Amino acid sequence: MSYLFDEEKGARYLLMGNDAIVRGALEAGVSVASAYPGTPSSEIIENLSKASDKRNIYVEWSVNEKVALEVAFAASIAGLRSICAMKQNGVNVASDFLLHVALSGSRGGIVLVHCDDPGALSSINEGESRHFAKMIELPLLEPGDFQEALEMTRWAFELSEELGLLVMLRSVTRLSHASGNVRIGSLPGTDKTACFKYDAVPGDQASGPVVTMPVPPHHEALQRKLKKAVALFEKSPFNTYTGPEKPELLIVTCSACNLYSREAVRLLGAENRVGILKVGTTWPLPPDLIRKNLSRTDTILFVEEVLPFLEENVKILAAEMAKDIGVKTFHGKNDSTIPMTGEMTPDLVVDAIKRILKIDYAPMPETFRNKAREIAAKMAPVRDLTFCPGCPHRASFWNLHNALEIDNRRGFVCGDIGCYTLGLLPCGFSTSKTSHSMGSGIGIASGFGKLTRFGMDQPILAVCGDSTFFHAALPALVNAIHNKSDVIFVLLDNSGTAMTGFQPHPGTETDAMGGNVPPMDPAALCRSLGATVQYADPFDVDATQAILLRLMEEKGARVLIMQQMCALSPEKKGKKKYRVSVDQEKCIGDRCGCSRLCTRVFRCPGLVWDADKGAAVIDEVICAGCGVCASICPAGAIVREEAV
Amino acid sequence: MNAAGPNELRAEVFEKDLCIGCGACVSLCPYFKNYNGKTAMLFPCTQEEGRCFAYCPKVEVDLDAVSRNMYGEPYSMDPIGRYRSVMKSRAGKMVTRADFQAGGTVTALMTYALAANKIDAAVLTGRDGLLPIPAVVTEPNAVAGFASSKYTSAPTLAAFNQAVREGRRNLGLVLTPCQALALAQMRANPMKQKEFVDPVSFVAGLFCTWALDYRSLRDFLVEKTDIKKIQKFDIPPPPAGVMEVYTESGKIDIPIDEIRKRVPNSCDYCFDMTAEFTDVSVGVFEDSTAWNTLVIRTERGQAMVDGAVKDGYLEIGEMPEENLAHLKLAAGNKKKRALERGRGQGMVKTAKEGGRAAIRIDGDIAGMA
Amino acid sequence: MTKRTILKDPYNIIITGVGGQGNVMASRMLGSALSRKGLFVTIGETFGVSQRGGSVMSHLRVSETSAWSPQIPAGQADVVVALEPAEAVRVMAVYGNSGVKVISNTRPIYPVGVIAGDMAYPPVGKIREALLELTKDVVFVEATDEAMKMGQPILGNVIMMGALAAAGVIPFDDDDFKDVLSETIKPDRIDMNLRAFARGREMALQASRSNG
Repeated sequence: MSYLFDEEKGARYLLMGNDAIVRGALEAGVSVASAYPGTPSSEIIENLSKASDKRNIYVEWSVNEKVALEVAFAASIAGLRSICAMKQNGVNVASDFLLHVALSGSRGGIVLVHCDDPGALSSINEGESRHFAKMIELPLLEPGDFQEALEMTRWAFELSEELGLLVMLRSVTRLSHASGNVRIGSLPGTDKTACFKYDAVPGDQASGPVVTMPVPPHHEALQRKLKKAVALFEKSPFNTYTGPEKPELLIVTCSACNLYSREAVRLLGAENRVGILKVGTTWPLPPDLIRKNLSRTDTILFVEEVLPFLEENVKILAAEMAKDIGVKTFHGKNDSTIPMTGEMTPDLVVDAIKRILKIDYAPMPETFRNKAREIAAKMAPVRDLTFCPGCPHRASFWNLHNALEIDNRRGFVCGDIGCYTLGLLPCGFSTSKTSHSMGSGIGIASGFGKLTRFGMDQPILAVCGDSTFFHAALPALVNAIHNKSDVIFVLLDNSGTAMTGFQPHPGTETDAMGGNVPPMDPAALCRSLGATVQYADPFDVDATQAILLRLMEEKGARVLIMQQMCALSPEKKGKKKYRVSVDQEKCIGDRCGCSRLCTRVFRCPGLVWDADKGAAVIDEVICAGCGVCASICPAGAIVREEAV
Repeated sequence: MNAAGPNELRAEVFEKDLCIGCGACVSLCPYFKNYNGKTAMLFPCTQEEGRCFAYCPKVEVDLDAVSRNMYGEPYSMDPIGRYRSVMKSRAGKMVTRADFQAGGTVTALMTYALAANKIDAAVLTGRDGLLPIPAVVTEPNAVAGFASSKYTSAPTLAAFNQAVREGRRNLGLVLTPCQALALAQMRANPMKQKEFVDPVSFVAGLFCTWALDYRSLRDFLVEKTDIKKIQKFDIPPPPAGVMEVYTESGKIDIPIDEIRKRVPNSCDYCFDMTAEFTDVSVGVFEDSTAWNTLVIRTERGQAMVDGAVKDGYLEIGEMPEENLAHLKLAAGNKKKRALERGRGQGMVKTAKEGGRAAIRIDGDIAGMA
Repeated sequence: MTKRTILKDPYNIIITGVGGQGNVMASRMLGSALSRKGLFVTIGETFGVSQRGGSVMSHLRVSETSAWSPQIPAGQADVVVALEPAEAVRVMAVYGNSGVKVISNTRPIYPVGVIAGDMAYPPVGKIREALLELTKDVVFVEATDEAMKMGQPILGNVIMMGALAAAGVIPFDDDDFKDVLSETIKPDRIDMNLRAFARGREMALQASRSNG
């Protein structure tokens, strides 16, 4: 039985944090779910889509996070429960709408799940999304383990309805992508009807138009809702204290750091000296709870990821209560007891407690540690990130890099977000020179393209994948075309959202629930905007480079669509187009005339340098049979034959 | 001792803006490409010593060694290099009148060389609009199509390298002084390749005072005319002070000062006006546009001229003393300016001096320059 | 008091390897099997961009009382299952101790820097010797080679699971594995997986005997 459909209350499952959130939403009777994919949040909508039929849920991959939230919000004000999921930086995209949602209020329970990625394990930023709750004035929940991920999600819908306000629920990679045991609850019925009521006067929360004007009364209403949230949070079972009545040290923590803190205290055998206040309702903070727990001791340690959010908010309350609770010594990120950047580990908490309580502890005997490190340095060579064998991006960046070098005017590529972000690393020949948010490659390029009046004559290219194109690149492209910016926009079309697992997007033929939808054609879109559009197959390296060189001689907004399907795409995986081999007699190897171009520079994992033979060889198991290496071999030593 | 590889080439030539885009390093390996008159290095290479560096006419050129390899003697201090004789010459009756610059001597010699099977193919430089395009020619009648001066620097040696890769031998070439210097180094087999055979049978050099940067000239002319329809360029002798650009719709005069701005930095350090390392060199003849100045340098060059005269491809005449003196004065001035500039900037050194040099000459450089 | 079924609480298992080796699948199957026995299992995994040629590590915490941190603290591993030999060495430097049991596949997956000729990958024999300097308990299993003989290199992870079962350190046997399989994979593939599992256990037992 899948955890998605099991009706047996109390049944026990080993669930990923994201799955626990899914089950919580199902138990709350969610009717609409929307998201833009982003690690570590993607599985939430992916798995809800599997329950779409049986649980009567509308699930969609939206074009971007802002629209995703708008879609979920429509369900809420039509009286349904809805969930919207995104990664940390997605909240930035959605934040403009979020600000207005807070002000207008909501009806059916609406929960925004935002998954932060401390340590940037799968991100190019370490964004902290909790501050949005404070800035935009919304309640914020943070589950401290897997069971809570389920229960808190379920409760978040009730809370949202009780307050008439969207509830933010924050997870982190080590919770979303970790698994633990969860006992499930029961599932409600699936019969729901939607209707948007607007007949009452504006400001009537239940059945008036949903607007934010006039602003002052709406803002006052919002603050009343937050006060109510505080009252509810004072009694919340998600705020727990474990430890002695009067500990020497109080750890105030939340989210996955709760698990690290427990682990650290146990490792140090400090259960009788350290208490842990795990806060589940991190905004707005319940002051009585904080007062009661800060009163236990004078030494406080904050353990959290990413920024000192809990730390600073508790300190404000502590300052206000100083007369009652006395002066405290605070440790945390602000005094560098806990690192300000990177993800937390049990070891970092051990370190912090050790220093505060002066406990002697070493995780390994020094001799063992030194020997193990020495062996690892010698025997475990670094694994650089690289594109998969047969990945079209390797060929695309090869072409981009070579065309830019041949053109010889210090041209460059503005990178974007997707697998092809790796275009800034050696596997992409270090071709991308900027890398920021979704769609910002073409946005930055649009700006560069207007600097010709200041003597800038470098060719400017921007790359972007087909999913990112629809997400946020489109407005920037419109900007470049409208402002006559001299840029070349290269669409790396690999037919899917490869990075996060082939979710559909507006250019594909299916939607999140597997239904057929008409695919949108980026080329037609770009042409209608007024750009010239050309196509290239990046595997045809000579033709692609020739097109790029020609485009670089032209002016205005130019679009080149490099089309080649992702090597991992279900349609392509495991099917070799070519059988590739190396004629070792012809291979020039590392001598003048080649210097191992294929293995040293092109570096496809399917090509291996055989130092003994002084020639390259193909690893049959790894080679994906794209045949590109045969086109770049200067000696004609790499041979490709059509695979039968 | 002074051998090095591609990474030094990049540092010493490309990054110092000394590359003239001759193509000597192109088509030997996948790392160098010439495009729009400039050579680029695509990726770092790991060779500590490479043909690219050894062939480059802009770094570590040992003039004495090049000269010894070609003439059996060290570098000559003569302003026009080592030579056997200087004549005036022009195309003979056997040559179809083409749109040559001046007397058509180069067209005549190459046509003869192909027609008389003295060479199997000629590596020449054509033009698409302003862009010089090297080509390999085997038909004598096709040579005339490549006549007339190009003025923008050309990767002619890239086509030569490609031809050699494809197995061609017994080649004739028409080269500018920098290209000819690179070729002279190539023919010395500096990397001591076992399989090396000299594929060159005849080299005609062109007098050159400077070349022009293709992109810069194109961007300048594109404002003035349809560059695809340019038929011919000419720089008439002083005091004209212009470059003449002939198009379908007539002639445009460009002030010479505008042109000089577009001379690559590299030409400022070039000591060679008359293509000193060739079999013969050809240039303008001072008194008449109907004739060329012909410098015969080698026995092979002499034989080619003799044959061409005998078969009616070439006419020759005496070179007036005064003309020769003028030629030497002009060539000497270029040489002196370039060597002084190079010496002053540490680019011209003796064989014994340390550090990188563009050019090495033994003996008293200061005195010579 | 329930009867203790694990040697230590929490019992810490690391399954390490390279993206694409079926590491996540293995840790999920093992985790499910242990969870079915009523044990608390916590698994920490690395997803996403790290799969593009990078190391992938799963941490399994097995407990009779509660969930644990999804990251094992330094020096606290009890068993290291390495689907790739160099990864065993890498893990030991952070999570190892002199009592760790190491079960490693013999088949290297070369990092791109190695296939490119920029770095060296030590002979597997040397890796084994080095590991033995750190702990007495090292078992090497030719899992990928055996899986290739069975016609499916990806079964290497199942063979390694069999080898882990052979170690007898956690309550995990053929029947547990069978139960999990029936829930997670297509019926026509169950038999092949069971054979791989059994083969892994056999090979590990042989290897331990020859070690001893």
